[in-house]
Amino acid sequence: MLSNILKLVKKEVQLEWRQKTALGTIFIYVLGTSFLIYLIFQGNITIPTWIALFWIIALFTTVNAVSKSFIKDANEQFYYLRTIATPLEIIFSKIIYNALLITVLAFVIYGVMILFFNENIADKGLFLLTIVLGSIGFSNLFTLLSAITARTQNFVLLAILGFPIILPLLLLIVKMSELSNFAIQQKDIYMNLGAIGLLDVITLILSVVLFPYIWRD
Amino acid sequence: MKNWWKYLCILLLFYTVIMGFLGPIPELNILEESIRNLYFHVPMWFAMMTLMFVSLVYSILYLSNQKIDHDIRAAAFAKVGFLFGLLGIITGSVWARATWGAWWVFEEVKLNGAAAALLVYAAYFILRGSFDDEEKKARFSAVYSIFAFVMFMVLINVIPRISNSSLHPGNGGNPGFNSYDLDSNLRIVFYPAVIGWILLSVWISTLLIRMEKIFRKKHQLDIE
Repeated sequence: MLSNILKLVKKEVQLEWRQKTALGTIFIYVLGTSFLIYLIFQGNITIPTWIALFWIIALFTTVNAVSKSFIKDANEQFYYLRTIATPLEIIFSKIIYNALLITVLAFVIYGVMILFFNENIADKGLFLLTIVLGSIGFSNLFTLLSAITARTQNFVLLAILGFPIILPLLLLIVKMSELSNFAIQQKDIYMNLGAIGLLDVITLILSVVLFPYIWRD
Repeated sequence: MKNWWKYLCILLLFYTVIMGFLGPIPELNILEESIRNLYFHVPMWFAMMTLMFVSLVYSILYLSNQKIDHDIRAAAFAKVGFLFGLLGIITGSVWARATWGAWWVFEEVKLNGAAAALLVYAAYFILRGSFDDEEKKARFSAVYSIFAFVMFMVLINVIPRISNSSLHPGNGGNPGFNSYDLDSNLRIVFYPAVIGWILLSVWISTLLIRMEKIFRKKHQLDIE
């Protein structure tokens, strides 16, 4: 099972790498949005605004990047995938791949935000950890939701379904980002990290348990 | 007496309205007469949570045996639950204006959580409308509704406890309602009110289910 998952992840990476336009689209999207926000805010913002903008850009980028993750497999590939892999292998590989993609994109956004705005988080290591944990949570939720919305012709649906559901995680991540800039008590950091980790685990379990019901057709 | 619970519902709600507006209440600053809203605002959330839980159970049942009947029930309970959630927000907003001075208070995590929970279920109805195929619609929305319920619980039960910034009684260091209710005057109306409103919400849901089934029979669709 593990080797199959790794092979499927490798397949996703190779496919993405082969179609450089798709990858280019999402990177230009990140750069464009960040630049737009830089111009709108005229170059100076406070740290809380910085954090809010960072996560808003990350969220919209995620929706755009993940929305196509099952559309590629809509036709003949779908039947082929079904014969060679179990639903569990497919959902795990998609979640792992999307988590990697979102993490990389979030790092790019982070770099661009530092470049444009002369502000930075005080505890960078903790903020990077927050990004990784947040990306995993985003991937867990949006991968399953994109599997649902791929079967409809409604392209706004992923955002409609995802935004309210991601809200608890997003609130915790924003709080955590603020704590990684300035924390009064060390205890708050651990509590928030624990809560984010717990939500990641809950969403992962739900996605993995429910995916087989979406996959059979 | 097959429908005894419907008579009980009418009886309890008459009792709630009469005792709710005329019954004795503790004398409190700021809250004053507005405390009577306790019999209306709080039971709305109990009713919503009950119905959403029932909807969750039917969604799980649908996934395990694919009976369209379970999907009809899950949708109907979620619809009425949504209605009661809206009523909970409206009654809460009126109460907030009277006691906290604003229709909507940002620092109040429970308000934002409730609004987000309503959005989650609004998305559920949009999802249901996005499928042409009956079976797909039922299956996918059942999956989403399980997600929705878990996040609903996180939004209104977990987040308010973690953030600890709430103006509601019993949260954020505020005394709970039981500390006001020393002579149990509130309690003897509140508990019947909760049961009465929950029964009413179930009653409305069963009517909705019957309507849907009659509609489907008329159009020769499957109802089992």
